[in-house]
Amino acid sequence: MPDRFAAAMSALTGAAGEEESLCSHFLDVLPVDGASVSTIGEMLGSETVSASDRQAARLDELQFDLGEGPCWDALATGGPVLEPCVRERPQRAWPAFSEAIVNDDIGAIFAFPLMLGPLRLGAVDMYTVRPSRLSDEHAEQTAALATVTSRLLLARALRLTQDEMPAEDRNPFSRRSVDQATGMVLAQLDISADDARLIIQSHAFATHRSMREVAELILDRRLNFATRNDEIEDSHD
Amino acid sequence: MIDTTREERLIETFTVLADTLVAGYDVVDLLQTLVESCSALFDITAAGILLSDTRGDLEVVASTSEASRLVEMMQLSAQAGPCVECFTTGTVVSLPDIDDGPASWAPFRESAREQGFASVFAIPLRLRETTIGALNLLRSARGELRHEDVRAAQALANVATIGILHERAVTENRTVRDQLTSALKSRVVIEQAKGVLSHTHGISMEEAFVLLRTYARNNGRMLSEVAERLVDRTLRI
Repeated sequence: MPDRFAAAMSALTGAAGEEESLCSHFLDVLPVDGASVSTIGEMLGSETVSASDRQAARLDELQFDLGEGPCWDALATGGPVLEPCVRERPQRAWPAFSEAIVNDDIGAIFAFPLMLGPLRLGAVDMYTVRPSRLSDEHAEQTAALATVTSRLLLARALRLTQDEMPAEDRNPFSRRSVDQATGMVLAQLDISADDARLIIQSHAFATHRSMREVAELILDRRLNFATRNDEIEDSHD
Repeated sequence: MIDTTREERLIETFTVLADTLVAGYDVVDLLQTLVESCSALFDITAAGILLSDTRGDLEVVASTSEASRLVEMMQLSAQAGPCVECFTTGTVVSLPDIDDGPASWAPFRESAREQGFASVFAIPLRLRETTIGALNLLRSARGELRHEDVRAAQALANVATIGILHERAVTENRTVRDQLTSALKSRVVIEQAKGVLSHTHGISMEEAFVLLRTYARNNGRMLSEVAERLVDRTLRI
């Protein structure tokens, strides 16, 4: 259903401020019974941002509490975790999680990471009541929706902290360094200028630096998003 | 004899600028040609053009060197120094000895001194009662600029003003604000493109600018167009 997908993409792109209903865009397009969108980690905190129903919320909660499950693996590997029949024939070993869902009405679970460039922000979990498979096309669409969702979640976090933007980031000379650094990051990761800027902004936010300071690290070649590991909290001093 | 040569060069400069204005042109490229002409024509060490953004802050759009120290010093002058005074009063500000400036200009003075500048002159970019920016001329020696140099510089500044305000005004009904915003915006993309080249070629920002400009010239393309295509990754050089 390319039309429904296009509609969901455009609705999602303009969904800033309506993060609670993020999961509905996944339900509109994909053959699943429930979905949830969660942030995981230091930067955005571990929380369920949007869940379509109780079951979806419960799956997230279990995984947070147990520290294992599809969403953790999706985040760790940076790729989707597709379990067509998670209760009876899980392809991965999650002893505690498997035991916890033994009486749940769950067939398949599909977890996709929420990432932007090197930043790993959380995961989208989708489930079906009966065992099922996700087609390649649906997997691609989920990944595309996940990218837009990542951008929204990051923008939301930054919006909430905007008042704290250091004064030095507002002067023209800083803007020039940040523009140059944006160019370096977009070339490092082969992404758009807007996303590259968002990554610099997020890194500044996560490391309590000004954007200009982060830009200087990039320009001095002391910080390269293409070669570094996934920790955004690490120090470069 | 020297004067004749200088006069010939001045005529040559105006001819080049007039030709540029008749053919299609790129504002940043035009301003870059202009600052380079200034440094060739007049007894100065460095030159730069600053334009005001939508909030009235002045931003460097072209300078004889891309060295960040020089750019930053011009920005300081735009916060408290000859540049902002020239912009607010709409008149030429001469500072034959930078030590004579008021106390509030200290940050600018320090930075200028550190880089070996002893005198500075700011010439308004003005069309009737609207001042849109300033041309800054910096010199390593103390003393006044020759009267005819000031006049010639003002004439060049007028050409720059016409160039900025004229761009696209022919075909589109655009305000002065729009014109300025578009000039400053193309500078943002140029900075990003410098970052791209700096990363992909492992070169400095100055070298990246030279590469960008040379490529645009050799291929008969506009600087900002090449920059845009480098940033959206549809061109690799």
